[in-house]
Amino acid sequence: MSDRTAPWLAIARYEAAGGARGSVVLTGLLSGFLLLFLAFFPSMSSAGIDLDAYVESFPPAFQEAFGIMSISTIEGFLAVEFYQFAWLLMVGLYLAYLSGGTIAGDVTSGRMDLTLSAPVARRDVVLGRFLGLVPLVLLLNAVLPVVAYVGVLAVGETIGVERLVAVHVLAVPYHLCCVALGIAVSTLVSRAGVAQRVALGGLFALFMFDSLAASSEYDWAGSISPTAHYDPSVVLVNAEYDAVGAAVLLAVTAALVLLAMLRFRRVDLAG
Amino acid sequence: MPAIECRSLTKYYGGVRGIEDVSFTVEDGEVFGFLGPNGAGKTTAIRTLLGFLSPTSGRATLLGHDATDPSESRAARERIGYLPSDPGLDTDRTAEAFLDHQAALRGSESRKALVVRFGLDESRRIGDLSRGNRQKVALVAAFMHDPDLLLLDEPTSGLDPLLQEEFAALVRERVDDGASVLLSSHVLGEVAALCDRVGVLREGRLAAVESVEDLRSRGGKQVRVRVAEDLDRDVFEVRGAMNLRVGETVSFTWTGEYDALIDLLDGFTIHDLEVIDAPLEEAFMTFYDGDVPGPGRRGEGREDRGASGIRRTHEAGETEPSTLVTGTEADGVDGGKR
Repeated sequence: MSDRTAPWLAIARYEAAGGARGSVVLTGLLSGFLLLFLAFFPSMSSAGIDLDAYVESFPPAFQEAFGIMSISTIEGFLAVEFYQFAWLLMVGLYLAYLSGGTIAGDVTSGRMDLTLSAPVARRDVVLGRFLGLVPLVLLLNAVLPVVAYVGVLAVGETIGVERLVAVHVLAVPYHLCCVALGIAVSTLVSRAGVAQRVALGGLFALFMFDSLAASSEYDWAGSISPTAHYDPSVVLVNAEYDAVGAAVLLAVTAALVLLAMLRFRRVDLAG
Repeated sequence: MPAIECRSLTKYYGGVRGIEDVSFTVEDGEVFGFLGPNGAGKTTAIRTLLGFLSPTSGRATLLGHDATDPSESRAARERIGYLPSDPGLDTDRTAEAFLDHQAALRGSESRKALVVRFGLDESRRIGDLSRGNRQKVALVAAFMHDPDLLLLDEPTSGLDPLLQEEFAALVRERVDDGASVLLSSHVLGEVAALCDRVGVLREGRLAAVESVEDLRSRGGKQVRVRVAEDLDRDVFEVRGAMNLRVGETVSFTWTGEYDALIDLLDGFTIHDLEVIDAPLEEAFMTFYDGDVPGPGRRGEGREDRGASGIRRTHEAGETEPSTLVTGTEADGVDGGKR
């Protein structure tokens, strides 16, 4: 027994290895997406259009939703065109969707029976499944700042390395929170497909709520959404780093994983 | 200490009955069979024992550990091997990666020997394997840590006859080494070949627990006779003869003495005679109101000969004239105990 790996670590490793190819493909696709947008920047900024005046005419809720502060600078452009949309929304939703299928999917497919017929505690499965997705989050946030930096230089612009690093360091707690949300939903909903849609739909609803609340008198209410605690625009354009937001996200992540463990502890595996 | 002790175990899924008031004991070193048609509660019982389902009421111990307590159950699972009826394997991983993972969770002392014995190619993606080969992957995972208790749910459903025999041999070896087994099946022959005792599950309840030996001795003899004379059905409608069928050959189940049978046949010129142990199905009929579990009834004789290793029956008497076949050789378990 002592020569065996801890079950949660074994499960995390196995799942991470199984998702390795998908992680690399996703990182490649997002890198391509980022470079594509960056390639538009020179022609846009030299077209002589007052883009900031244009975006200021957008409704406040829309500006809030996509963190539009300024899109005429490279930082503002990256924030609006890539980080608010791809990093906050798309990657967040994808991670929630992916993790929403983990536990529920294992139960439905009967994989969970084989895992739990070994001397493995249910909490080890939850922890292992969560940690198994952490490498994907880390890979994305390690590769994309490099791609972004090189891309910015390639289009003849410059950007503060510190801001670029910060926007990804602060993305990690946010992305982990999205994963934890999906894991929690995966223990609450027994059918994998439904769990995935509930996790994705739930995060999207929170994002919408946050966006609408922020431009109302109830702006404090929006803080129940994970998206309220990660603002790539503020990081990139204003160089303001919200450590409290990151701490809140990490705390919520831990709480969601704990909730998933408690919920999964005694639930019937309806195979 | 019994390997499994199950007391009034009941599991309802909401209002739907899974198992109800199931009590039985599997002694240390014993092979116990669950027999019942699909939906009788075999899988529910096994999954409740493993802690995948919380019982509605009742209790159970596995190797002395309370099966309903999560940490006790985990301690028991250190020494348990489980083969599900439809194993959930990762189709996009290789057998090697999957077994590596299983080994990390439970140990793998005899993995190599099992892989060689069953001729499993570990380098292939599980999704590319045939059903039988997938079953082998699950089988290696269930046996490779040399467990003291084996829970086998419909273990041979995906295996070809040759592998079924190899599997049966493996189970017997493990039992000889001290392991206990709970095996479920809807095929009586499989259960009879391996088990010491059989529990008959019917609609979630344990209808009866019998030793295989008792069942066999109680089943009577299956008699099949072809005679030269024209037949009168009335002649055979005597005490001791049951399930009489009169056609070109006469067949019936004989529960009386041999002497009385010989007296009965004395007046005929016999062309062909076959007397074998009645298939266990006959003895089980009472539990199922005549609806015998398993694919087809072996009592009917000439079906599917050789199609499956555990269903080769009655062959000895069919071609050779005047053969008297008795004993266990031809009672439908020739893939089994010898």
